[in-house]
Amino acid sequence: MLNLSRRKFLQYTGAAGAALTTGGISGAARAQDPLKIGVVYVSPVAEIGWTKQHSLGVEAIKQEFGDKAAITVIDNIFMPQDAERVFRELAASGNQLIFGTSFSHGTPMQKVAPRFPKTAFEHCSGIVHLANLGTFEAKYYEGSYVAGASGAHMSKSNKIGFIGGFPIPDIVGPANALLLGAQSVKPDITCNAIFLNSWFDPGKEKEAANTLLSQGCDVICSMTDTATGVQVAGEGGAWSIGYASDMAKFGSGKQLTAFTLDWSADYLRAAKGVAEGNWKPEARWDGLAAGIVKMAPYNEGIPADVVAKLKQLETDVGSGKVHPYAGELKDQDGNVKVAAGSVLEDKDIRSMNWFVKGMIGKLG
Amino acid sequence: MLYRIEQRPEPSASMRIAAPIIATALTIAVGSAMFAGLGYDPVSTLQAFFITPISSLNGLSELLLKASPLILIACGLAVGFRANVWNIGAEGQLIIGAIAACGVGLFYPNPESPILLPLMFVAGAAAGMAWAAIPAFLRARLNTNEILVTLMMTYIATLFLSWLVHGPWRDPAGFNYPQTALLPAAAMFEPFDYAYRVNSSVFITVVAVVLMWLFTDRSFLGYKMKVSGAAPHAARYAGFRESSAVWTGLLAGGAAAGIAGMAEVAGPLGQLSPQISPGYGFAAIIVAFIGRLNAFGIVLGGLLMSLLFLGGETVQMNLGLSSSLTRIFQGILLFFLLATDFFIFYRFRRVPEHA
Amino acid sequence: MIPRLELRNITKSYPGIVANDDISMSIMPGKIHAVLGENGAGKSTLMKIIYGVAQADSGEIWCDGKRIEAHNPASSRALGIEMVYQHFALFESVTVVENIALSVSSTFDLKTLARQITHLSNRYGMPIDPHRRVLDLSVGERQRVEIVRCLLQAPKLLILDEPTSVLAPQAVGKLFETLRQLAAEGCSIVYISHKLDEVQELCDSATVLRNGKVTGSAKPKETTSLELARMMVGSKLPEMRVVPSVPSARPVLEVRGLTSPARDKYGVALKNVSFEVHGGEIVGLAGVSGNGQADLIALLSGERRHADASVVRIDGKAAGHLNASERRGLGMAFVPEERLGRGAVPPHTLWENAVLTANRRGGLVRHGMVDRGKAAGFARDIIERFKVKANGPSSSAQSLSGGNLQKFIVGREIALKPKLFLVSQPTWGVDVGAAAFIRQNILDLSRAGSAVLVVSEELDELFEICDRLLVICQGQVSPPLIRTKTNREEVGLLMTGADRGNDIEERSEVAVQN
Repeated sequence: MLNLSRRKFLQYTGAAGAALTTGGISGAARAQDPLKIGVVYVSPVAEIGWTKQHSLGVEAIKQEFGDKAAITVIDNIFMPQDAERVFRELAASGNQLIFGTSFSHGTPMQKVAPRFPKTAFEHCSGIVHLANLGTFEAKYYEGSYVAGASGAHMSKSNKIGFIGGFPIPDIVGPANALLLGAQSVKPDITCNAIFLNSWFDPGKEKEAANTLLSQGCDVICSMTDTATGVQVAGEGGAWSIGYASDMAKFGSGKQLTAFTLDWSADYLRAAKGVAEGNWKPEARWDGLAAGIVKMAPYNEGIPADVVAKLKQLETDVGSGKVHPYAGELKDQDGNVKVAAGSVLEDKDIRSMNWFVKGMIGKLG
Repeated sequence: MLYRIEQRPEPSASMRIAAPIIATALTIAVGSAMFAGLGYDPVSTLQAFFITPISSLNGLSELLLKASPLILIACGLAVGFRANVWNIGAEGQLIIGAIAACGVGLFYPNPESPILLPLMFVAGAAAGMAWAAIPAFLRARLNTNEILVTLMMTYIATLFLSWLVHGPWRDPAGFNYPQTALLPAAAMFEPFDYAYRVNSSVFITVVAVVLMWLFTDRSFLGYKMKVSGAAPHAARYAGFRESSAVWTGLLAGGAAAGIAGMAEVAGPLGQLSPQISPGYGFAAIIVAFIGRLNAFGIVLGGLLMSLLFLGGETVQMNLGLSSSLTRIFQGILLFFLLATDFFIFYRFRRVPEHA
Repeated sequence: MIPRLELRNITKSYPGIVANDDISMSIMPGKIHAVLGENGAGKSTLMKIIYGVAQADSGEIWCDGKRIEAHNPASSRALGIEMVYQHFALFESVTVVENIALSVSSTFDLKTLARQITHLSNRYGMPIDPHRRVLDLSVGERQRVEIVRCLLQAPKLLILDEPTSVLAPQAVGKLFETLRQLAAEGCSIVYISHKLDEVQELCDSATVLRNGKVTGSAKPKETTSLELARMMVGSKLPEMRVVPSVPSARPVLEVRGLTSPARDKYGVALKNVSFEVHGGEIVGLAGVSGNGQADLIALLSGERRHADASVVRIDGKAAGHLNASERRGLGMAFVPEERLGRGAVPPHTLWENAVLTANRRGGLVRHGMVDRGKAAGFARDIIERFKVKANGPSSSAQSLSGGNLQKFIVGREIALKPKLFLVSQPTWGVDVGAAAFIRQNILDLSRAGSAVLVVSEELDELFEICDRLLVICQGQVSPPLIRTKTNREEVGLLMTGADRGNDIEERSEVAVQN
């Protein structure tokens, strides 16, 4: 009895599976239909933050394609269990291009992509590439380097504070660059770092920001998904540096700048590629030069000559003339990690799990 | 005319059946009004919510996949809840179970061994029980409040997981990202069909439901727990040990949650990352109560919760409803379900005017 | 003359039951009027309606010739109606005067109030110290606090609900004196009771209720107890068959030097308690409530365990360290005084409640599984054999009336054919018919060879069925008294603790009833 029904079940499931797959192909074949795009956000779109910046990319596609693109957005998908189902569902319902926007979407996308070989998958902040799975990522460290320099110009205590969501390379790297940028102005400056182990925990973040203030930090940069760090710093009379979105309106006039993210170029490139039939999985990794990372307007309290220097630094970092991770770099214990005259290799940047000298605090 | 709420002399048998029907009708009415008021067609919205998600085999597979851990954990928790043993830390027990199972899967010397999966099962169950044994010991010996202890221990479990995946268990080939390596194939439940995700771990849940039913409805131990919950003085009068209800209740919940954690890691996850549970341990508490702490009620409750979840995604996908709106709708249904259950035991009575 | 209180056609129904059906009665000023009836006859409901706690569905209440409308306790008290509840509502941690101050509606200062309390209580012959904490008062003294609280309001009508159920016989006499004095001063008294002798001794008139209906009015002093009982019960009272006991050679229950601290702040420490109960005899434990009965019975039943196993022996085996279930294994059965929540699980069915204690000895559990069919059969047997009014084994325990549930619980324990049968307050709140039935069953069990220990606060009951009597007072148990060689006075003295100074004065006023 059990055997029979199980066999039957397998039969049905197999048949339906095949039907779903062919459905995907035929959807892609009809060129006159609008381009079907699915986007999975990790949280709802808010006024600021990570998902808000991804929604700029979606808006850019809408602007460019008009009714030639039909975009389905699913928000609030974080857990891998749920993400795999949503990616599968999006692919099965004929979307030709699917964006994942969180690192946690990676493993699910790697599982789903091979089942829908005709569908293009684009994974933001991903590390694994497959035949139909490309990744795109921003060089946050370029922005944080410039922001760090601005902080050093304005700091009186010569102490910067940093709040990170998780101690992952995507955050540890920019934290290091923040300090290196500051040290490029004042070599003795230090940076206290705290990790929340959460992207969104305003209560904990407020506590962390207050801790940093009480430690004497007068510039605070927070890489989380809230404006709490900027807000608490402003209320405490300290300078702040925003991340992902321009958070000036939360900073009591004290946001020095923000290194913002604009994924429009990545979204457009992928959409055009699929529409024109020449999409290929890439590992795109861009920063200031490509406009993926942008510096928000500098605070009016920064002297004009300093702003000019910072703008020049933006150009130099973008062009590669100044490399944030240029040697000599030492870790917290003073071991030389990058020799003078060389720069940190890209793969080492992407897996950075050590703090440079002058960082105060522990990873994890 | 005044009305008063009063207890029924006997719980109403007809209301037991009518309550969920009334709740559904009320939800559909209120939900339709809400959708219509916001400019969505109520019929197609409700259809997308309740029908579309399960009108494909993939949908059914996803429903089972999502419902399975909820039902499994709720069964374990309900054993304790019936005896007023409030284990609300299933989330932590799930995490510890997943950690233990994943540890076995990653570090067992022979990654192709056929006993790998059974070993992981045992490890998950044992770890979940061990985690639940701590609050059980504290309650039985020191009379601490198990609600607080189980909840607090969930935070410990979460941080322990975080430490593991950021530290010793981090995938060496994973660019230092906080996740473990993927489990070998022998450490994974095989799906019935690779087109779908549902796997043989649902049979664990089926067995658990039957065991739970036998235990609570037929066994003497289950009877003793029911007495402990309904009338602690009667339990002492009869000579049933209170500590045995505490131990049984917490260990059953811990084992179920630990196995659910194992099934997640050996099923849809395949690895550990800092967050592995979409709140199954907490959602299962709701499932247990929607199911009236009864094995088959829990099955229906778990399926309903999962359907609500999948339906929420479908309306977002098909009709563009925001996820917050679907959560409101889910809340309405849960509210009416629990509210109408109240009238199994209570009723309105008219109070004469002159009073 | 206008009645102080007149009820006209009062009807009140609760779900499934008409508690009061068309009840009319009137009480003249200065008279003591009894409302007599078995438990569940509707007496308490009627009092709640008079006091305004509950509202009648229909009917009228007149007080001094005026109809009372929009009735509630506050308006009752404004009219001079006061009520002394069966269960006191006192805050234990504060003093008498502070407790009374809480219920005084006018402004007061504690000193004046204390003086008033001392004055009033002395005047009515029930002295209380206003500055003692309620925690330290005996039950009888607490009742005095309640009564004084009412008297402070200079009531025109005083309602007392079963006031003697918590009193020693001596204290009862004292209370009656007070009530007579009150009545002589013009206060009407409504006296609720199911005890015929008290009503006959105290009351001028009586209304008898049965099943919510008035079944008769009488002048109790001119009516025989038999007639009153017939009105209450409605049929011929069963007669008790008492055959002489043949005690076994060896005791079944031996208690040797049992000393134990109080289980909590409401408990009483036990001091060197020793006694034995033989098979075939019934031993009664008399005492005013709150003198250690609860602590003793918990230690005997196994609900509380003792570090020294040998202080309690059941059938010759040391059992002090065993829990209730293990003592059942030695042949013990036990009926506790609380039926709902202790002797039975209220929401559970009768067959489930049968499993509660009959799981092993009744063979209702096999291989760890509950045998539902057998449990239902067991419950059905009890229902039939003990004439329990219930819809069957699937009715919930809480749906039964108190007396029927008591019959079920007693029946369940007796059906296990215990060697040792402990029973606490076997007929508390049970109507006369059921009480007689339960007593007869206890007698029959004992005569069949079981050792029976009955804990009761009703002396009449103990004198009716016991072969020997023990008296507990302040945690100490007296040497056994042979029932036929003692009397109520001797027992009453032991109950109040003859060595306690403040109660000695009451001794001379005890009416010897035998």
